[in-house]
Amino acid sequence: MKPALFDHLRPTTVDEAVALLAEHGDDGKVLSGGQSLVPLLNMRLALPTVVIDVSRVAELRGATELPGGGVRYGAGTTHAAFEDRLVPDATGGLLHHVAAGIGYRAIRNRGTLGGSLAHADASAEWPVVMAAVGADVVVRSARGERRIAARDLVQGFFTSAVEPDELLVAVEVPALPDGVRWGFHKHARKPGEFAESLAVALVGDSSGDVWLGAAREIPVPVALPSLDRDAIQAAVADALADLTGEDEGEVRYRRHLHGVSAWRAVNHAKEHA
Amino acid sequence: MIEVTLTVNGREVTAAVPARTSLADLLREHLHLTGTHLGCEHGVCGACTVFVDGAPQRACILLAASADGSDVVTVEGLEGAVADAVRESFSAEHGLQCGFCTPGMLVTACDIVARKPDASREEIRLELCGNICRCTGYVNIVNAVERAAKAVHVQVAAR
Repeated sequence: MKPALFDHLRPTTVDEAVALLAEHGDDGKVLSGGQSLVPLLNMRLALPTVVIDVSRVAELRGATELPGGGVRYGAGTTHAAFEDRLVPDATGGLLHHVAAGIGYRAIRNRGTLGGSLAHADASAEWPVVMAAVGADVVVRSARGERRIAARDLVQGFFTSAVEPDELLVAVEVPALPDGVRWGFHKHARKPGEFAESLAVALVGDSSGDVWLGAAREIPVPVALPSLDRDAIQAAVADALADLTGEDEGEVRYRRHLHGVSAWRAVNHAKEHA
Repeated sequence: MIEVTLTVNGREVTAAVPARTSLADLLREHLHLTGTHLGCEHGVCGACTVFVDGAPQRACILLAASADGSDVVTVEGLEGAVADAVRESFSAEHGLQCGFCTPGMLVTACDIVARKPDASREEIRLELCGNICRCTGYVNIVNAVERAAKAVHVQVAAR
């Protein structure tokens, strides 16, 4: 369980990092906190020849408040920074709540928001949460800067819209609209594991929606545009219509699980002020 | 090879290592600090947990090159009132059997006691969930962390 050989480059500015990405293209891989990448390197499931370590890029850290109550988070903001409220929370507590349940404390001390998003695993918290709150992801390359809606970020299993020469530099999270409350539910067999199912509910006075992470079945976050229990279950069944398996009970269980997960997120939003 | 300079248990060390070297392998193979144990080598078991700049991190999924310039404290270097209380409590409560997980347990326990001194039993269990022990069934480890937190409280109150 030792990585294959690679070169390790340590840029200290975004410009340097972007230039290295332009130079190395598909052979290069960005390392932020490395809490997903280094296990993959250790298991040799990822075999980059060049690792571009951006953990020393000061520009990627910290958060700035935006007009209108939103917050721009540097991609290198750790999960623990959200957990410990070292950065402002644009959502009135959702980001703090979610971060505290990511992996284990030792992982949260090193793992980063941008790293998790770029890794594009829909069973991880941030891709689903950022889709739910309508965040934008800012990426930069030698070709310039562009924004990607978090809802379009994850395109398939571990496949993101971030191009190989692009660096994810920041995430802009808008404030929740007035009167909208958040709820969250994560189903995992053990605390700290990746979710079997996770759901974010945003509940307004008369309407709202739920975003579902059901990565074992669907590799991208799924929108369930209703708060009604039967409608949620119907939407889940619809989203998982193609799900087949030898074990019919297992298939029924998966559909039921995600419906319950979404419904619990809705109730969580209603329960806590 | 990459030259890495970091502080380990209060001592500045410099080593030239291949880029793929983890902090854990740097500690064990180059500095011969074999107290840091390697179990799963992908961040799940917690045996390799060490303090990096005051925060517990997995030494198996942290490249030595990424840790360049940081201040590392391993199980060999734990000291102070919290560490003393944690060690004594693990002994008194029999918080280990084979001892393989213990280095990571002690580091994590020190972090829990320092960061959440009033943690309930349930919170202690949650905080410990990233450290796997295959011997004890965890009860004695949770007892030890609880006892250490109380001992540190008593010391603070007595001051």
